[in-house]
Amino acid sequence: MSYSHCQRGKDMTSAIGIGILNLFIALGLSPLFEGVARKLRATVHSRIGPPVIQPYYDLLKLLGKEDIRSSSNYLAGLAPWACFAVVATATLFVPIGTGEAPFGAFGDAILFIYIIALAAVALIVTAAASENPFALIGASREMMMHLAVEPVLAIALITAAINARSFGMGDMVNWYHFHGPSLSMITATIFLFLALQAQVGKLPFDIPEAEQEVMGGVLIEQSGPQYALLMWSMMTKQIIFVSLFCQIFIPWPRTGNLAWDILIHLAKVLVVVLIIGLIDVVNPRLRIDQAIKYYLLLVFFSLGSIAFAVIGA
Amino acid sequence: MTTLWILLCSLGILALGAGIAAITYKQHKTCSWISFATVFASTTGIIYCAAQVFINGPIKTAQPLFSLPGIGASLMITVDALSALFLVITSVICFCSTLYSIHYMSYYKGESLLRYYPFLLLFALGMMGVVCVSDMLFFFVFWEFMTLTSYVLVIYERNEEINLRAGFLYFLLTHIGLLCMFVAAFLLYARVGSFSFKEMQNAMGMLLTQNTALLHLVLTLFFIGFATKAAALPFGAWLPEAHPVAPSSISAILSGVMIKMGVYGILRVFVWMLPSSHAWYIWGGVIAIFGIISMVIGSLAALTQDDNKKLIAFSSIGQIGYILLAVGMGMSFLRVAPPLAAVAFLAALYHLVNDAALKALWFLNAGSIIYRIGTRDLNRMGGLGTLMPITATTGLIACLSVAGIPPLSSFTSKWLIFQSSLIGGIDMPIYLVFGVAAFFMSVVTLAYALKYMNATFLGKSHGEINRSLITEVPISMKIPQIILAVICLGLGVLPIMVLKVLYPALNSLLPFGYLPRFTALFGSGLTGINLSFAGGISGMWNPLWLIIAAGFCFGLGYLVFRFSSAGGSRVRVAETWYGGRKHAAGEVRYTSLSFYVPFKQYFAFRVKGIDFEGLYPKTLHLPRMTIPQWLRAVLDIDHWLYYPFASGFVRLSQWFSRVHVGIPQVYILWIIIGVIAAIIVLFTLPAG
Repeated sequence: MSYSHCQRGKDMTSAIGIGILNLFIALGLSPLFEGVARKLRATVHSRIGPPVIQPYYDLLKLLGKEDIRSSSNYLAGLAPWACFAVVATATLFVPIGTGEAPFGAFGDAILFIYIIALAAVALIVTAAASENPFALIGASREMMMHLAVEPVLAIALITAAINARSFGMGDMVNWYHFHGPSLSMITATIFLFLALQAQVGKLPFDIPEAEQEVMGGVLIEQSGPQYALLMWSMMTKQIIFVSLFCQIFIPWPRTGNLAWDILIHLAKVLVVVLIIGLIDVVNPRLRIDQAIKYYLLLVFFSLGSIAFAVIGA
Repeated sequence: MTTLWILLCSLGILALGAGIAAITYKQHKTCSWISFATVFASTTGIIYCAAQVFINGPIKTAQPLFSLPGIGASLMITVDALSALFLVITSVICFCSTLYSIHYMSYYKGESLLRYYPFLLLFALGMMGVVCVSDMLFFFVFWEFMTLTSYVLVIYERNEEINLRAGFLYFLLTHIGLLCMFVAAFLLYARVGSFSFKEMQNAMGMLLTQNTALLHLVLTLFFIGFATKAAALPFGAWLPEAHPVAPSSISAILSGVMIKMGVYGILRVFVWMLPSSHAWYIWGGVIAIFGIISMVIGSLAALTQDDNKKLIAFSSIGQIGYILLAVGMGMSFLRVAPPLAAVAFLAALYHLVNDAALKALWFLNAGSIIYRIGTRDLNRMGGLGTLMPITATTGLIACLSVAGIPPLSSFTSKWLIFQSSLIGGIDMPIYLVFGVAAFFMSVVTLAYALKYMNATFLGKSHGEINRSLITEVPISMKIPQIILAVICLGLGVLPIMVLKVLYPALNSLLPFGYLPRFTALFGSGLTGINLSFAGGISGMWNPLWLIIAAGFCFGLGYLVFRFSSAGGSRVRVAETWYGGRKHAAGEVRYTSLSFYVPFKQYFAFRVKGIDFEGLYPKTLHLPRMTIPQWLRAVLDIDHWLYYPFASGFVRLSQWFSRVHVGIPQVYILWIIIGVIAAIIVLFTLPAG
């Protein structure tokens, strides 16, 4: 391992330091990436578009607005907060620019998948607790998307884990970095990329929100700071997934210098975010049943990557 | 007083309590509290004994308590760590369930408590007996005891035909299972002439070398019996029918404890009794396949249910599938890779404990809803979270727990199952496929758990619900739920400690030194697990640090809220408004029926006129108890004995009554005729 920092469990202070760095990158820079994606969308539409830092203004503005809740249920207030906290926690279990996740000694890829699932749970509970039928339609769709998409992520990570003989994120990164491209990992990379669009909730798979059909679905009743937290956690989730993709499935190049590595990583993330944004802007929305059919097919074929990994290809 | 005596007293007091409850059943309160006190005393004793077993090793009777030398059976009590584990699960869940019953049973007005508390206590006694004895005949005696008492409890509301038919299905299937096991035990008995577990073990060893085909027949029969009790599909068809009709407190025990007795049986017979051989590998595969069938069908069927208890019942089948998958995996790996096997078995035991706690919690939670609104239909609930916040919280914990959300307890057990199936599956790819299937089903589990949550506690209320009348359930129904919720949370915080407690239970199944040392598997950390069972660390999990990290991130969120309120943001609660106007209660709802519709349709089809939903028949045609005409005629004693006799008697009396003509002279004539007749008789008698 070329990194001296955050060797598993040995150096607590650097783990916490990298953890704070991760939180800063994922939480602090995610609106910026969103702003770039919006700029891209405007360019495709031949518009000038909002400034790149518009998402920051949006968040600030929302934080000052009145917090109107549609239910006195305590979960309606707790769930958006939990969604934000869970997404922030997830950033600690993903390597962002570094070879090892800051809290990689305390949880592996399976834990990461479950934490991300918990973020979806928080979103669904937020929607259902708001008592709006449109929100419940959104919640039902969110869960179905999760049912169809989550296995693809899991299978990609299982492929990496079988290759590395470990579920530790750091072990996967290091194995792939030193071992070089292999058939199983390339297959997994392709399928995970096809699933990325739905993981981050962009067109053609933003079915749970679907403004034109269900008026924002899960988010319909949200306002003020609650809405800000949910928006922020969705943007952060995008960065987490893209980071995971860039780090585990495209781990090159790596210099060994922390600052350079993080810069390289951010550049990779930017490229992927732009590709996602481009797909987002040129596609119409699919129906939920079409999306499920597409992803269940994807799950079936992505099992091939595990098969390749088992035979060592 | 020795530990053994305390154990026997704890069991005896249950029988005594059952007697007292049977006497006092007419006083609702007295009977409930006496039963509760009995179970409380028994639970205390059992927990003490279990602690002794875990610290000082197994306890056993030196002399049989009771023996039948003629057939080579004797009542021997042996409590090893595995039995102690099951004893604790049984007693804690029976305790919670009895406490819950005190108020809950008032829901069943017009039903006699005589058919409830005495049988509940005897049911608990039966289950504890099953895990304590070390003699196959008495094992069957307690097994049957458990089955019969639970049958009476399942058909508690006996005035509805559907309940009786569900109960009959349960009765029928479990007795077919028992019959299979009895034949199997008899085949072994024929070899050694004794029913004791030790001799049965020898018999299996003999069969292994002499007659393998017969051994596999014996194991097949045992498997059918235990799988029926464990409700593994396709043998467990009784479970989804029996659960909705039984009182919720009984469902909690049935799903929480009784079906786990099937797993106990499998561990006892297939791992402990069966000598180390190739049979482990074969039967491990078979058990894992039935596990995966139960897991897939149970989980998908749960997704389609609109009856809250039926949903939980299918969830039980799904979770039993996880447990059986882990047991099967453990058996398959046992000879080739003991460390992998140890992890798989521990995952099974851990998941069993978790599922016991969370299933009991979930059924009690569903019972609270039924107690308040009187329906099991998820479509007719909704919005109860605001009215019953504590019940909603325990329900949320049950739902998150069954889905295995960290840091709740069943995350660790599922994590161990995934680790052993995915890493262990590299050499046996079939388990890799099973592991991926288990992963997919765990997302389905999350989906049905959230469906329960959304349909019951969140969303808009159904129009028939009078929201002003619904309040939180009584405290005696809340406390058991809180206890179980705390268990679900608590077992997850320090999983390494739980595994340390479970490890002796696993070791008691296998010869000493068969499995690797604990620290070699899970690392020597005090708070976290560093799993290393296939050379090198393959997984890390430390809930304490997750909780700390999550706490910090919640703190960040709190700061954002503070920032927001400093900026002038205020909270206001306003009613929902959509489609251009406000709506009356229950006017516009998104019901349980509509949840996941396109997804559910992929698993719905029609074969030979039977509708399948979630790969399971939508309505199971329950058997009708039909008796052939001739047998009915023979059994109808009234018809061929009493009625002919009675009508003959009546005719005779009518004939005699003709002499009553009402004229004194005629009566005097009868007297004179009688006297003459008597004199003639006396004269004709021989003298002397």
